[in-house]
Amino acid sequence: MDSYLLANAESVVARARAGDESALEELYRAFEAPVYNLARRICRTTEDAEDVLQETFFEVCRSIGRYREEGSLWGWVRTIAASKALMRLRRNKYRETDELQDDVMGHRREDTALRMDLEAALERLSETSRAVVWLHDVEGYTHDEIANMMGKTPSFSKSQLARAHQRLRRWLGEEVDV
Amino acid sequence: MTHLSMESLLSLREAGLEPGDAAAREHLESCSGCRAELDRLHQRVARLKALPALRPTRDRWPQVAARVRQERRARRRRIGGLVGLAAAASIALGVLVGRPAGGLPAGEQEIRQAMARSQALESALSQIHPDERVLDGRTAGIAQELEDRIARVDRELEMADLLGRQTRDDQLLKLWRERVGLLDALVDVHVTRASNVGL
Repeated sequence: MDSYLLANAESVVARARAGDESALEELYRAFEAPVYNLARRICRTTEDAEDVLQETFFEVCRSIGRYREEGSLWGWVRTIAASKALMRLRRNKYRETDELQDDVMGHRREDTALRMDLEAALERLSETSRAVVWLHDVEGYTHDEIANMMGKTPSFSKSQLARAHQRLRRWLGEEVDV
Repeated sequence: MTHLSMESLLSLREAGLEPGDAAAREHLESCSGCRAELDRLHQRVARLKALPALRPTRDRWPQVAARVRQERRARRRRIGGLVGLAAAASIALGVLVGRPAGGLPAGEQEIRQAMARSQALESALSQIHPDERVLDGRTAGIAQELEDRIARVDRELEMADLLGRQTRDDQLLKLWRERVGLLDALVDVHVTRASNVGL
């Protein structure tokens, strides 16, 4: 994270609220990389992730006055980014046919002792499962928070996470007979 | 021996105690297979966290900045349109302002006072330069709603002007008073917001 911005966060935010475009750009430069990383881990394509990056910062510029400085600035920006990424998933719902294919063809593929690296295994998960894994395990959101962002129940988030880990375990060749 | 499910293992990683966690912990004590599975789960999550950060290949700031500027221009146009409508309405009913106050019936005097108050508030609003500032989402929403309501009142005033003498003074007074109330609220929204951020 941009150490300069963190040290001057208060004054940058104050300038951004007053409509100073250079302050808005400072916010963009400081959080561009982590926002993109989050978006890219959730979205299927680089184009979608870049669109999410753009939409996130447009929202940040628009709503900077709403940031109450109760939590961290990054926490606020990250929640906007996660919401935008999940919104993009909903818009691209047709891609969830991947998951259907996984269900139909899964047994044959999963029974085969596949050993792939973590990047490839993560990429192979359905978009919803991957989003839950990333938001819960890496970003640290709770199931309640994920459910709230996704418009689903906490049980849905929990079952998606369990299912994703079962698959990752298999695809990473971590299955051990006990 | 029944081993712990993935749901149970994941639940053991959560901060709060879920129903069934106590029994799962008890099982874990006596089952080396499940302990190894939980360990693999911890390691998998640690590896996920350690994945390299992906970076965008293109700079998207120019597009973001262009949209921000575009929205500001649209807002400026909206405010400009609002003041224009108000001016038109004032001119249309200017005949009232032009008359000496003493010779006016009570209803017309009140309308004249409301119009003067409306113009003073518009002047105050233009000095705040609301169009040049970024409002937070909630404040912008309130300001937009007030602007829309003022525009509706202005349309009714224009209609009243077209109808001429068919519009009664009490109806006109009601519209002008409503306009004053809305403008007052709009100025208040901008002034309050400005003082909140020390502008």
